[in-house]
Amino acid sequence: MPEVEFNGKTFTVDEDGFIDNYENWTEDWVQHVKKEEGIDEVNDEHKKVITMLREYYEKNGIAPMVRVLSKVTGFKLKHIYELFPSGPGKGACKMAGLPKPTGCV
Amino acid sequence: MKPTIVKREPVVDEALDQCEARLTEEQIEKVVNEVIDKETGGRLWTYVNTCIHCGLCAEACHWFLSNDRDVSYAPVTKVKDTIWVLLEKKGKVDGAFIKRCSEIAHTECNLCRRCGMYCPFGIDIAYMLLVVRRICAKLGMVPLYLQDTVHSHAATMNQMWVKPDEWIDTLQWQEEEGQGFVPSARLPLEKEGADIMYSVIGPEPKFLAQLLGNITVIMKVAGLDWTMPATAGWDNSNMAMYSGDFEIMARVERLHHETAQRLKVKRIVMGECGHAFRGAEYDGPTWMGWMKPPIPIVHAISFYYDLIKSGKIKIAKKAKGPITVQDPCNVVRNGGLGDKLRYIMNAVCEDFVDVTPNNRYNYCCNAGGGVINVGPPWKKKRVQGNRIKAEQFKRTGAHTIVTPCHNCHSGIEDIVDFYKLGMHVKFFSDILIEAMEIPEHLKPKEE
Repeated sequence: MPEVEFNGKTFTVDEDGFIDNYENWTEDWVQHVKKEEGIDEVNDEHKKVITMLREYYEKNGIAPMVRVLSKVTGFKLKHIYELFPSGPGKGACKMAGLPKPTGCV
Repeated sequence: MKPTIVKREPVVDEALDQCEARLTEEQIEKVVNEVIDKETGGRLWTYVNTCIHCGLCAEACHWFLSNDRDVSYAPVTKVKDTIWVLLEKKGKVDGAFIKRCSEIAHTECNLCRRCGMYCPFGIDIAYMLLVVRRICAKLGMVPLYLQDTVHSHAATMNQMWVKPDEWIDTLQWQEEEGQGFVPSARLPLEKEGADIMYSVIGPEPKFLAQLLGNITVIMKVAGLDWTMPATAGWDNSNMAMYSGDFEIMARVERLHHETAQRLKVKRIVMGECGHAFRGAEYDGPTWMGWMKPPIPIVHAISFYYDLIKSGKIKIAKKAKGPITVQDPCNVVRNGGLGDKLRYIMNAVCEDFVDVTPNNRYNYCCNAGGGVINVGPPWKKKRVQGNRIKAEQFKRTGAHTIVTPCHNCHSGIEDIVDFYKLGMHVKFFSDILIEAMEIPEHLKPKEE
């Protein structure tokens, strides 16, 4: 699997740029994905989404429906796309250290 | 026959590697002959014996053209290296060979059928690769991510592990979103006797829920009597059709049709997805031995064509161009909707720029046929395998690409990203919702 370097740290990723293991996620990873996704700054709203995704994944072993993400964070769908331009399944899951969701995505 | 020279970067796919270690030669021989004797018949033998190895199919294949005419990617080579050997050796091959068969059939062919159009005998080469997938699936040789999707179909009857309560909750949420545009819009669940059952694919409720809000508004403005099921049977997609697990494919297709029958609707309208149409309209019914689907199937392209042409939907503000389009193989080349697609594109875009080649001659997005579903391990090869698609879009000079298919949408986003095309990728309904006229009496009243 390919490796990426950021801030002196090395991460192993898949071909889609998702981290190899949820456990290897760190703050540096967030900053790395920020750059990849063209996000200007990781603010509290991004952090809220990331925390929610990680908590949900820990309990359920899968990324949540965008409905659940919207309900728990209180963000409208449109706003989630503003925060993560490539969408909840790609950008947000990637930043939170989840694996790439399966299916036609 | 000389062996093909194959140069590939090594890819680790756990499912394939584990399966290779587990398979015995007896199992392989039994399954290969079972499939060939009981499931193929004259069709396969006619194709194999008619082929004169001329190689004209190579020129038709985006994999071959994008990989600098590497012969190992030509359709004829894919057949030579798989089904010809299986037939010649009567199934006496090892696990490593079956693994290579899966790599070829699941990850290097989209079953897009462009090659069949250029074959002087009209041989359906994709059919032969589908037979190879069938053999692989019966042996458990299916790439990991694709098999996960098939498991989801088997367990939940949808492709993304969506639970029943989450499905209903998402629909009701998007009904409210739609009501933001048109307060009287409804997303009616379980309405028996409605004219239309609308069905979608798993990613819509999972991540792209705005598409459900869009259709709520469109249906209201067009004044249609429609419904969606609150039960399983709402997902019209079918990755089992592409893994080669036709037993699960049939369960999924039957439930979709039976759900429409339970709701006593007159027709099923499907969202913007190509392979779903293939499964519901022809591959599914054929496998189940049905002459045709019991309730007519209408793809989104035909549906929007009828609405725009009849004036049920009027266009108020055309999208500013230049905008181009991708023809989903399963509804255009294999479904004949290319002209209708151009009609609706011209209706909603100020400056629609067509691609070359276009319509049924268009190149595949390289995501279809389950090839995006084999997941991240195979992504690099997938995007490199469609350089000609990137070049084709670049020539249009468009700022947006419309993709009336989920596979095309995700695959082309990847290509836009990899080749740095700087274009937007949108569904047709995203453009339509902005362009259509919302009559005064349906608009929200100002406070």
